[in-house]
Amino acid sequence: MVPATPLPISLIVTAAALLLPLLAFGVIMLATRSRHRLSAAISIAAAGLSLLAAVYLLVQHWQIQAPLVFQAVWMVSGQMTIPIGILLDPLSLLMLAVVAAISFLVQIYSLGYMAGDPGFGRYYGCMSLFAWAMLTLTVSSSLLQIYIFWELVGLASYLLIGFWFDKFSASEAGKKAFVMTRTGDVAFLLGLVLLWLQLGTLDIPVLTDPAAVGAKLSPGMITLTALLIFGGIVGKSAQFPLLTWLPDAMEGPTPVSALLHSATMVAAGVYLFSRLFGFFSLSPTAMAVCLAIGTISMLLASTMAMVARDIKQVWAYSTISQLGFMLMGLGAGSLFAGTFHLITHAGFKALLFLCAGVFIHHCGTNDMFEIGRQGGRRLKSALVCTIVGAGALSGLPPLSGFFSKELILSHLLDSGHPVAFLAAAVGAFLTTYYSFRLIFIILFPRDADDAPSTKSHDGHHSAGGERSMAAVLWCLAGVTVVLGFFQTPLHDFLARAGTGVNAAMPAHHSWLPVAACMLAAVAIGQAWLEFGRKKARQIGWVERIPLLADLFGQRWYLDRLYRYLLDTLVYRGISRLFTANDRRVIDGALDGLGRSTIGLGRVIDWVHSGMIQYRLMIMVAAVISLILFIGWGG
Amino acid sequence: MAYQLANFPFLTALLLCCVAGLLAILAIPARHARAIKIVGAVFSGLTLVISIYLFIAYDQQSGGFQFVERVAWIPALGIAYYNGVDGFALPMLLLTGIVFFTAVLTCWEMELRVKEFFALIFLLVTGVFGLFMSLDLFFIFVWFDVSLFPMYLLIAIWGSTRKEYGAMKLTLYLLAGSALILPAIVYLVVHSGAMTFDLLALMEGDRFTPAQQRIAFFLLYIGFGILAGVFPFHTWSPVGHVAAPTAVSMIHAGVLMKIGAFGILRVGMFLCPEGWQYWAPLMAVLATCGIVYGTFVGLNQTDLKYVIGYSSVAHMGIVGLGLSTMTVDGINGAVFQMFAHGIMTALFFSSVGYIYDRTHTKAIAELGGLSRIMPRATSFFIIAALTGIGVPCLASFWGELVVFMSCVRVYPVAGALAIGALAVSALFMLRVVQKTCYGPPLEKFADLKDITAALAVPRVILVSVIVLFGLFPGLLFDMIHTATMHLIGLR
Repeated sequence: MVPATPLPISLIVTAAALLLPLLAFGVIMLATRSRHRLSAAISIAAAGLSLLAAVYLLVQHWQIQAPLVFQAVWMVSGQMTIPIGILLDPLSLLMLAVVAAISFLVQIYSLGYMAGDPGFGRYYGCMSLFAWAMLTLTVSSSLLQIYIFWELVGLASYLLIGFWFDKFSASEAGKKAFVMTRTGDVAFLLGLVLLWLQLGTLDIPVLTDPAAVGAKLSPGMITLTALLIFGGIVGKSAQFPLLTWLPDAMEGPTPVSALLHSATMVAAGVYLFSRLFGFFSLSPTAMAVCLAIGTISMLLASTMAMVARDIKQVWAYSTISQLGFMLMGLGAGSLFAGTFHLITHAGFKALLFLCAGVFIHHCGTNDMFEIGRQGGRRLKSALVCTIVGAGALSGLPPLSGFFSKELILSHLLDSGHPVAFLAAAVGAFLTTYYSFRLIFIILFPRDADDAPSTKSHDGHHSAGGERSMAAVLWCLAGVTVVLGFFQTPLHDFLARAGTGVNAAMPAHHSWLPVAACMLAAVAIGQAWLEFGRKKARQIGWVERIPLLADLFGQRWYLDRLYRYLLDTLVYRGISRLFTANDRRVIDGALDGLGRSTIGLGRVIDWVHSGMIQYRLMIMVAAVISLILFIGWGG
Repeated sequence: MAYQLANFPFLTALLLCCVAGLLAILAIPARHARAIKIVGAVFSGLTLVISIYLFIAYDQQSGGFQFVERVAWIPALGIAYYNGVDGFALPMLLLTGIVFFTAVLTCWEMELRVKEFFALIFLLVTGVFGLFMSLDLFFIFVWFDVSLFPMYLLIAIWGSTRKEYGAMKLTLYLLAGSALILPAIVYLVVHSGAMTFDLLALMEGDRFTPAQQRIAFFLLYIGFGILAGVFPFHTWSPVGHVAAPTAVSMIHAGVLMKIGAFGILRVGMFLCPEGWQYWAPLMAVLATCGIVYGTFVGLNQTDLKYVIGYSSVAHMGIVGLGLSTMTVDGINGAVFQMFAHGIMTALFFSSVGYIYDRTHTKAIAELGGLSRIMPRATSFFIIAALTGIGVPCLASFWGELVVFMSCVRVYPVAGALAIGALAVSALFMLRVVQKTCYGPPLEKFADLKDITAALAVPRVILVSVIVLFGLFPGLLFDMIHTATMHLIGLR
């Protein structure tokens, strides 16, 4: 842990990038909450400065040779030293820039989207809290620090999902998100503690050093801790089986969904995997589990997206599925493929959500059929940007998603996982299908549709503020178009300073991009047949099979199952049993003790009542029994 | 000057502050309620100032007991007025000072029999301060009882919801506890071979055989444990909290429950290390039961104060778990958690108290949508709930983390269960927050006022303390550590 030639300027800049949002949070919450414009200005200024700092760091360290570590002691207790520090390496620098950039853009966008909301100040306060926690998470130097900020990010998510807390569904969704991710975090914390007990430290450079870990941990222990930590990733990145909180999290304001629940926070799970890639790759079992979970989540979520009517729900399912896709890439052994897809996805998924926000803002509904009917296609910039984003999501050249998706597919093929490769191909097909289903529904509205809008408008805000929103959309769309061409520089950058990225680019299959494009074309064609062409009834093939439509629409009944388990096992089972035990057994016994003491007192009281008859009677009885006893004995 | 200051009897001054406050309140005619409150605030504020001074002035480099004062009282029996503080006592004194001051400020709007109420609170707190600083077993027992008996009157007169039952139950339980502590103390003194109640003298040399230590420790553990809400002797605590008025709940859960844990630590662990070792597995089992059990029972409660009462049972279970590990970290974490829980639960009760004062109900089902009506008052409640869940950068997190980390090493199963209970505790707290604060504002509460600046002061103090020690846990850990090293070094 020798800090490689400490460059104080980097430290100062990073610290500023991290602490400014915290400062903004404090100031907004304590002082300026009721002054909306000022709060927004403070928050955006902090986010903007953080972005500048992150970009400066990225440029400054583009030729980085060794990771920079700055550590200080946060707390000491006996054998436990909890450090707080900053770890700057290509991975964290890149993620820092991505998070700062998207935070900044989303906060600008929110100026228009959230205008007129009574909780405007509180909104920006929570956004700053999130920015602080997320930025600090990305540059954390130890696993424990990651856990701490991981929890704080979860807190920000809870507060923002339940931002419109008047609505029962919103507060319920916030609670669900917190509790479900907490369930994963229990495993994470347990894994972290076990790891700490074995290694004596949780510093990331040590954890990712195979020699250091292998010397102290048995292979079984590595697998156990890796799987426990992976539990946290499953919770945070909404993977199977903890995936049902994310669609519900769409109850939050749309910019929140864009920032937290697609681009950055849910990607923290994948980021943690990349961060600990060196550690995870020591356990083939953990890698296989990661690949399997990623595959299952990707397929499940894609099927759910095929029948959703709510535009945000579609993108939410798609987020789960894309996160699963990243985990597949990582699980197949390619750090770069997973990370690259994380970065491209952050851009185009934020774009898709923010476009969805524009539609919702104008049409006052989340239902995509309704959006189509209300003339969603007249919103030119949102529509074009949605098509760009959906194209990237579907992996169409030359958009960013094309490059990162193709990279993962070729890795799956090379690393000898034919099943996963096939699953990924199916997933890619479904992804393209549901993306273009959405686009065609908005583009070609049908009048005669008996289905009423399923959901109402998600806010109390007024229309307007288009300029700031449109500017952000075009900015992200531009990124989506060009980012793919930076694959090689990014790869070279990430391969520096030993983050675990292979220096050599993977073998190139010339047929793969062609095949992927053809697959996408077929999917678009299918969507066109069912939703686009003139006589299309806009009912997908899945919806014609009631069984499948029901299964997918009900999220594979996972939610029902959890609800049932929670109700029967937790509330009606253990909790009620314990409560009854408390009332009847414990309290009952002690109250009984009290009553019997009183009863005993009565008996003694009666004996001592001082009535001469009783005394005489007892005396006589005693004398007789004495005589009898002596008589017998004698 | 510095020399004189060093010899100034600060600990006695602290006690005298309470006594002076008590006398002053008694001297003021009952009709001057406002004057009584001001006098109460001034004297409780003074105790806070002194306890902060002591905390800062304590020399952590040399450690051990400082600010020692000793006056022989009954030499024939070896009883002395003997005070001294170490790294365990100082956080507790600070906690008592903070909770006392904020509790007095919390009942600023109280009207019923103010004089008697304040007098009893002052008497109670005198006992608490005395216990935390005393190094004489006889005085520890006396202070213990001094702090218990005002409780009965405070609950029975100013309480609500089955107050007579709650007061009686609490008193009987705690008296049962003191009925175990007294024999244990006498047993130890008799077998020490020296007629003295001096805690430090009794610690020197191997005075007690392991068998004697086991007997004495068990009695002390159960006796003090009742007050600390150890499972299965915890049922007085939720009932008592529900019945007690706000300020009393704050002091009760915030400070009195700590007396129990502190007693186990100061008397049990200092004098009977072998007994501690022998019973540690039992402590771990009971503590884990308390954590899991308290959390699950809390899920099912319908009364706000019951919910907090059961969360206290769970949180005190974490303290017990830390003590049972017999490791430096476990003890550090346990004492930290005692402090953090004290502040947190005081905040909890004071914010619930405000809600109850305005809405006149504690039934969760009747509440809802309060965040729209009283945003400031409910944010205090939400912060307390988040602290209870163990959100990082709020004080409780550190205590829990350190206890869990040391516990998994010693008792892996217990540690895993306790960590697992974290998920349920999140469900438990957030459910209550959702049902009371969130949702559409209710018609019947629409005219209620949000908390005023004056009433917000005590809550703001508590929140600041939670955040301060959440961001800088080292302030407290370094202090506790001096005493832990001393204790572990003795073994």
